[in-house]
Amino acid sequence: MLTPWLSWICALLLIAGLYGGLIYAPPDYQQGESFRIIYVHVPSAWMSMFVYVLMATAGGVGLIWHIKIAEVFAKSCAPLGASFTFLALATGSLWGKPMWGTWWVWDARLTSELILLFLYLGYMALQSAFDDRRVAARASAVLALVGLINIPIIHYSVEWWSTLHQGATVTKLDAPSIHIDMLIPLLIMALAFKLYFFTIVLIRSRTEILEYECNSKWVSDLLNETEVSK
Amino acid sequence: MKPLNTTYNNAGKATGESGFEVSGLECIRQDIILFQDISFKLQSGDLLQVDGVNGSGKSSLIRILAGLMQPSAGEISWRGRNISECRYQYQKEMSYIGHLNGVKNTLTADENLEIMKALSGSPQSIPLSEVLAKLELGGMDGITLNRLSAGQKRRVGLARLLVTNSKIWLLDEPFTSLDSSGKSVIEQLIVEHSLQGGITVFSTHQPVEIEGCSIRHIHLGKK
Amino acid sequence: MWRDIILAFRHRAELFNPLIFFTMVIVLFPFAFGSDIGLLNRVMPGTIWITALLATNLSLEGIFRSDFDDGSIEQIILSGYPLTLLVIAKITAHWCLTGLPLIIIAMFTAFLLSFPEHVLQTLFFTLLLGTPVLSLIGAVAVALTIGLRSGGMLLSLIILPLYMPILIFAMLAVENKMAGMSVDAELYFLSGMLVLAMTLAPLATASSLRIRMS
Repeated sequence: MLTPWLSWICALLLIAGLYGGLIYAPPDYQQGESFRIIYVHVPSAWMSMFVYVLMATAGGVGLIWHIKIAEVFAKSCAPLGASFTFLALATGSLWGKPMWGTWWVWDARLTSELILLFLYLGYMALQSAFDDRRVAARASAVLALVGLINIPIIHYSVEWWSTLHQGATVTKLDAPSIHIDMLIPLLIMALAFKLYFFTIVLIRSRTEILEYECNSKWVSDLLNETEVSK
Repeated sequence: MKPLNTTYNNAGKATGESGFEVSGLECIRQDIILFQDISFKLQSGDLLQVDGVNGSGKSSLIRILAGLMQPSAGEISWRGRNISECRYQYQKEMSYIGHLNGVKNTLTADENLEIMKALSGSPQSIPLSEVLAKLELGGMDGITLNRLSAGQKRRVGLARLLVTNSKIWLLDEPFTSLDSSGKSVIEQLIVEHSLQGGITVFSTHQPVEIEGCSIRHIHLGKK
Repeated sequence: MWRDIILAFRHRAELFNPLIFFTMVIVLFPFAFGSDIGLLNRVMPGTIWITALLATNLSLEGIFRSDFDDGSIEQIILSGYPLTLLVIAKITAHWCLTGLPLIIIAMFTAFLLSFPEHVLQTLFFTLLLGTPVLSLIGAVAVALTIGLRSGGMLLSLIILPLYMPILIFAMLAVENKMAGMSVDAELYFLSGMLVLAMTLAPLATASSLRIRMS
């Protein structure tokens, strides 16, 4: 029900954000036009973490209270989270080439983002290795939770190990070191990414639930209904 | 041998708080409904045989009864409490023998029984040598199990029932790879257990000759 | 736990395989980098650690493999004892049989390759604190993947990202020591991870086993 609404709002925000980011915002005095890639990079980096936490939480909820929807939700999250992570890495590396002169630097955030990608991939691999859905959901939920505990540890260990990255620019809310004209499109983009995520995750969950419940009565009722209405 | 009529959906025996009660059990594996709405009550001395063709869910039912698997619906209670609430207590009173014997091939029969005893934590009633003699496994000191035959290993696996001293026996195809004398030994054990007030649920596709107590049946698969 | 140790001794070959693997890989490195002692000394701790990681990874499946194959795991789950305790026993047994000998061999080879002594000590402490964490985290992953198709590959895929922090801190400690700096912070961090893993990993392993068997 919500899906069409969400997808429209998402599309609007995406267009607005892209316009704001690519055309409206002034070029950076240091980095020139190439900084504009942050409008994709930063939201996807945020989302990559956010989705993982969401996925692990949903997995945990499914594990403890045996709620099917949570299991399905967690499963639908994984590929999206992995693609956000990959997007963040790819755009970061594209941006790194003109800025740092190399595609890849062994710096803390890049490395922990990469490890996050590995965690997602491991989760998906485990998920697909089981034949039974419920077992798969519960087993991978355990893995997601273990990963969740590890994320801060990985993050700090990598941080300690080396720090090259520029400091966070948006979290200092009272005095952002980023110009307001740049910030607004960035936030719009972040919102658009979030909505995009929820739209897709809802669609995926719906398909997943239909498959999951293919035995139960309401699904066959639903199928019959649609056939009748045709 | 006097098997009662096939019982399905509530055998209608009165149960007190002490019984083993199953209601509305359903199992879905890989999107296929194996069985639905299985209910029965068992009391001291009851014997239940689970029949059904291959793939009809016999093993799944027994695993669910053992608490290894979660049913997709329904509940199992023992002494009036759901078995997932009193997991350890239930496990102490229950023995499960699956397809796999749960014995170590690199240990001798004695050592295997020692492990079973230690794991079950039950106060020992019968000496181990007597258990082995009962299962016709005597005189095999110092021989590790990988030099024994499949039937002999199965006997060692089934020896768990005697060592652990539990009230409920859940046996999944107990007679596989046993010869006729082995089979009658086990049948005898089941009867004795039942006469002593134990509960046995077992699955098999072989005809069983059990005398001295009545068996109830549950049939899985096509109705 | 004693049961596991006895069992392992009946499978001597399997027990020694990871250790032989470990020694051989370490011996391979001088061939790859040449016999320059200065260079070797710099890459040696890393080599030892990465090899220890891989050797643990290879031996991990053994924690539950045979129990899974012969059905003992079902009996262990149904034994009426808290599964977490039994899991702790099994992990301890695994560490005693792989982690501990591995440390001894590592020390021995490092000694043979004339590794500076004060750094050797630090390396020893990182291994002592780090290898139990490897066994603990590994047990969770093994419990999840045991008996699956391509379980071994999947195991590595799942486990290596989780091992990274340990590797990082162990290496930082060794490097700091080489540079003559204090290594307290890194060692404390490793101990912290050990405590965390000791409290959470057995619980996670136990619940994973239950899930796997259903």
